[in-house]
Amino acid sequence: MFVSNNFLSEGCVKCVGKTAKRFVSMVFAALLGFGGLMFVGAAQAEVPNVVPPEGSYSGEDVPQPIEFPHDIHADVNEINCMYCHTYARRSKVSGIPPTSKCMGCHTVIATDKPRIKKLTEYWENKESPEWNKVHDLPDFVHFTHEKHIQRFVFKNEGMDVENVSEVCAFCHGDVKSMTVAKKMKPLTMGFCVRCHEANDGPSDCWKCHK
Amino acid sequence: MSLKNVLENWSDYRKTHEQGGHHEYEHMWTLAIDLNKCTGCNACSVACYAENNLATVGKEKLHKGQGMHWLRMERYWDEPQMGGDDAEYHERGASFLPMMCQHCNAATCEPVCPVAATYHTPDGLNAQVYNRCIGSRYCSNNCPYRLRYFNFYSYYDTSWPEPLNQQLNPDISVRDKGVMEKCTFCVQRIRTGKDQAASEGRELRDGDVVTACAQSCPTQAIVFGDMLDEESEAAKLWAKQQVELGPYEQKKDKEGSELRGYRVLEALNTDPCVMYLDRVREA
Repeated sequence: MFVSNNFLSEGCVKCVGKTAKRFVSMVFAALLGFGGLMFVGAAQAEVPNVVPPEGSYSGEDVPQPIEFPHDIHADVNEINCMYCHTYARRSKVSGIPPTSKCMGCHTVIATDKPRIKKLTEYWENKESPEWNKVHDLPDFVHFTHEKHIQRFVFKNEGMDVENVSEVCAFCHGDVKSMTVAKKMKPLTMGFCVRCHEANDGPSDCWKCHK
Repeated sequence: MSLKNVLENWSDYRKTHEQGGHHEYEHMWTLAIDLNKCTGCNACSVACYAENNLATVGKEKLHKGQGMHWLRMERYWDEPQMGGDDAEYHERGASFLPMMCQHCNAATCEPVCPVAATYHTPDGLNAQVYNRCIGSRYCSNNCPYRLRYFNFYSYYDTSWPEPLNQQLNPDISVRDKGVMEKCTFCVQRIRTGKDQAASEGRELRDGDVVTACAQSCPTQAIVFGDMLDEESEAAKLWAKQQVELGPYEQKKDKEGSELRGYRVLEALNTDPCVMYLDRVREA
């Protein structure tokens, strides 16, 4: 009896100690979670007047002639997406930048890196790297980047053009954190239609199907 | 509407229609075709082939009635032996009538589609969504103008062998086997025109959108435009001929009238959006 009592009390002390630890960790987690929530709230507030589309997808890696690091350009150096993909705001396609645009910076920046050496080789041979398409919509779909960028960025009150990558991320995923781009959103009809419904986009079949 | 109601008010019911299910149209795209000016040169048909990725099926399949000509040139001879009244038909030659989808506002093809692949857009167009179509061919059977064309085969390899596939228009899909297709009033051009106007921040003007057939017509017999825009050339032509959307007979049919405007088979109450101007000949 005594032994068992002792055992019990010991056990209780252990238990109390455990619960106390658990409590601390729970508070810590709650604080973290709250901070995270605040962060998410702040990230959403960057694109006003928009209900972002939902859906996730895990695409395969697409091999590219040069392993282009989107993260170094868009995240570390904070270059606007539309600096290179310059047609996004005025055309159907966002456009792949010509090699001359790459060379505009890379005649002086990071010229000793192997990827830049490969790029310089292309430039000197007057060839362009044959990039592979990552986000390929079916042929029966009509999609214009212009309409979407105008609606979500330029004609969106309170929207800062600096944060355009948040809008791009609706359909292209967080390209800022990738090296070579990868398909991160389903880009199916349901994905498009749900967003069109939430944001009062057109619902006529012939707006998108051709 | 109950069956009893339909039977009791049959004459009223037969002469009215739902206007395609839309109460307010954004546009009402129409064609006005002057048969006096038409020489039957087939330039419109060729332009349509080039613009809309139409398959060339070959002589044998064309004879079987499997041609994919969205715009076909119909020829009529007033032969006395065929019941015509023109003894000099040989010297006069044939009369021509370019025939494309009439984009009926009370289209007979629309209600019979089991999967709603054909429907009426707020632009007054009779749309066909290719990747929705399952190829039941009800619409084709129900079209009084015989203007819907079915892909009995896949024509991609035979119609556009390398390097001809480079000439395909990227703004419109290449239809595959088992899909119904028809004239769209060059919807890809309408779409581009609208996008262009929107990016310039203005309303769509007359002349922003021209169909391939209207653009290529050497005598400008085909005029394309928006009926709701009173300043458009097509709307003026319709008004001049006193042809209206809705009624199933026009003023031309009244006695003593010198008007020429009519719509093909409008007595069927399909309310087509294409007006033809009758060909006038010296007696």
